[in-house]
Amino acid sequence: MNVGFIGLGLMGRPMALHLERAGHALHLWARRPESLAPFAAVNAKTHASPAEVARQAEVVIVMVADAPDVEKVCLGADGLAAGAKAGLVVVDMSTINPNAARCIGQRLAEKGIEFVDAPVSGGETGAINAALTIMVGGKPEAFEKVKPLLEKMGKSVTLIGDSGAGQVAKACNQILTGVGVLAVAEAFNFAAKSGVDAAKVREALLGGFAYSKILENHGQRMLDRNFKPGFKAWMHQKDLRIVMEEAHRMGLMLPSAAATAQVFNAIVGSGMGENDSISALMLLEKMSTPEGE
Amino acid sequence: MRLGFIGFGTMGEPMAGHLLRAGHRLAVWSRRAASVEALLAQGAVWCDSPAAVAAASEIVGTNVTGSSDVEELAAGLAPGFAAGGIHVDFSTIAPATARRIAAMYSRRGVDFVDAPVSGGGTGARNASLAIMWGGKAALAERLQPVFGALGKTVVHVGEAGAGQVAKACNQMVMVAAIEACAEAARLAAGAGVDFAKVREAMLGGSAGSRVLDVFGGRMAARDFAAGVEARLHHKDYALLMDEATRLGVPLPVSAAVWQQLNALMGRELGRTDTSSLLRVLEAGDGSGTR
Repeated sequence: MNVGFIGLGLMGRPMALHLERAGHALHLWARRPESLAPFAAVNAKTHASPAEVARQAEVVIVMVADAPDVEKVCLGADGLAAGAKAGLVVVDMSTINPNAARCIGQRLAEKGIEFVDAPVSGGETGAINAALTIMVGGKPEAFEKVKPLLEKMGKSVTLIGDSGAGQVAKACNQILTGVGVLAVAEAFNFAAKSGVDAAKVREALLGGFAYSKILENHGQRMLDRNFKPGFKAWMHQKDLRIVMEEAHRMGLMLPSAAATAQVFNAIVGSGMGENDSISALMLLEKMSTPEGE
Repeated sequence: MRLGFIGFGTMGEPMAGHLLRAGHRLAVWSRRAASVEALLAQGAVWCDSPAAVAAASEIVGTNVTGSSDVEELAAGLAPGFAAGGIHVDFSTIAPATARRIAAMYSRRGVDFVDAPVSGGGTGARNASLAIMWGGKAALAERLQPVFGALGKTVVHVGEAGAGQVAKACNQMVMVAAIEACAEAARLAAGAGVDFAKVREAMLGGSAGSRVLDVFGGRMAARDFAAGVEARLHHKDYALLMDEATRLGVPLPVSAAVWQQLNALMGRELGRTDTSSLLRVLEAGDGSGTR
């Protein structure tokens, strides 16, 4: 299949390469030409604009940072809509506001373009190992058309509901992972300040009801003090902003997510935004240490 | 002085009246012509568009609801202003929007001043508003006749947008204090103690405050009719929490208060007074009405 791919960052690059290895012909456009370098030796054509990509592709996958970027790629000057052939399906795998996804979907539908929101969970590791969890919102027919592509990038591919539903599921995912990472960081800091080995605590808890993948994986990285990003803290901050915007719009009380979002503000504000989310631990340690130490 | 005014809600209407009574010539325009009838009877002059208001005025004051309302209005006013004109916006909007509007005007040689106010409808009627403004300090003298007619405390906070930053701080401190009052009222009631008495005792001590006096009084009297509609505080919280995210500044207490406001909105109490935060707490512990 001729597949367009726009957004070749930390996540997008390995995702696109999985599609190429599965025998699909890639059509690429990148804002920064250096992002195209890893594709020089594979079956991939580069184009001058998203519109050019759309002219060659049956499906275009978008993996960018936030809603304004998605809107620009889809509907901006020389955007996908400007070059789309009849029946084009745009799959947006970025994490954006569910309401924004619905709006973009509707505007594309008016031009005869199908839009599917398909945000992912699993981080860079999941992208590299084709082990992402993919949450999809859109029409069942469009889902069936793109499902074989999504299965090359992810282990779990689920149609959640109509347009925007994938983003709602992702927002729920970010509530759980955001609050979860902070909970593990709080527990480890609590153990350490109590003079107890956090590694032993983790080992014990993994066998009980507090078991979670976050305790297992993020917890281990906290113990190793490996703060290199799988998932950058500033991105988690952005995702929680989306959650809190939606809570505000709907009049929903999310006390834990709100408190967690403030910790992410502090992580980013103190210059740790490019680190992994588990930097929450460093922040907690710093904030419970006497000044000047 | 030749002044203009647009935005005649609970706040704007009495503010415009004060400017008229101070002896200024007042040009007005409104989407709903009925909202200016009383002012026209007092001598205000009707104009057919925001641009016409700007063309007739040295300074135009506006008081509308959201960031996008102000931006739209500024776009309408801009072509009407003569160079040297001033647009003073009293609305509460995002600091970033205020800065953007100021930049748009400066290309035309027009000044924009963000001058949000605190004091509510009562403050507007009694010309006792606290006015916090951002913009060029050199404009202070020209603005004095306008500010002097509307408020008692007038503070130049800084450059464009600084007034809105001050207003965000104001809303943060004020609504957190309202929530603290509501929690005190709930604790007192839970312990079987009369909150009216608790409030009376506290007013004389270190916890005494305007908020405890006014909003605590409404809670004690269970008078939830809007002094300030809670939905407006809710709107302001979205602005300030967004600013906190943008700046990477943690606001843990404000975030918690914001969630109480979200619950208030979810319970459809947005058009009642912010003292309804007490009713949100009551709903959460089973002592509420539903």
